[in-house]
Amino acid sequence: MTERTDHPTSFVRLCAARERLRERGERVPLAHIAREARLSTGELIRRFAALFGETPHQYRLRERLDRAKRLLATSERSVTQVCMDVGFSSVGSFSAWFARRVGRAPSTYRRDAKPLVAEPPSSPASLEPGCLSVFAGALSHPDYYAKSGARNFREALSATSRQSAEPSVMETT
Amino acid sequence: MKIALNSIMVDDQSKALAFYTDVLGFVKQHDIPVGEYRWITVVSPEAPDGAALSLEPNANPAGRTFQEALFAQKIPATAFEVADVDAEFRRLRARGVVFTREPMQAGPARIAVFADTCGNLIQIYQPPR
Repeated sequence: MTERTDHPTSFVRLCAARERLRERGERVPLAHIAREARLSTGELIRRFAALFGETPHQYRLRERLDRAKRLLATSERSVTQVCMDVGFSSVGSFSAWFARRVGRAPSTYRRDAKPLVAEPPSSPASLEPGCLSVFAGALSHPDYYAKSGARNFREALSATSRQSAEPSVMETT
Repeated sequence: MKIALNSIMVDDQSKALAFYTDVLGFVKQHDIPVGEYRWITVVSPEAPDGAALSLEPNANPAGRTFQEALFAQKIPATAFEVADVDAEFRRLRARGVVFTREPMQAGPARIAVFADTCGNLIQIYQPPR
């Protein structure tokens, strides 16, 4: 691509188009959003993809999937209600679509994700930003997770803190 | 105390790894599956023992709102040093990278800003010689 891409108006319009896609979900035709951005549909797709690394359609799908994941992980709404919330009319097609992209059924995703977003326990270790201490272990021993059997950050974190008191898993493997 | 690791939030880790290695030219250091996501770090081939950059999934909805707002305000998420901003600009633009600021003089330094296709703007700067 050799066109000038730093034109401020074009940048602002593309950011606004992304905002519209996010706000209005599937309801507004792309041609309408392109008109608002004063671009042809083809031009919008091409410029949007160059700037954001995905087409408007892919962005909408990701937004929809993120919304479904967020609702499953954080709300008490049933899978059927979540399916309706994100614009599907059939639970079967929603579940198949979700599983194809996430690798797990919506109910399995909810079961796995709930503990990760639950209220943290009040123990001091859980208040530490865990990722880096967990990953410090992973960095020095890449198959640490497989051997520790940790299913989530919290388990991996407590496994990491156990190591400081007990003979190290990493040293003995 | 030293800074050995910095991180950047990305909207898609696979896309990010491809961009940061194939397009920018960084080298993959770690790629470890962790549940639904991966622990991915890249380093510069010019400084393989220098600081690593982790490509972190921007899975937190609040983080995504912040990232999109920062982008729309043209604020770079981070900056990389280069020897020649104009040469990097030509190299990257030829590979389809979108620049939101073409090379310009900013005081004693020369800078440019591009989109990393993963939700961030990145500034490159050339220190004064």
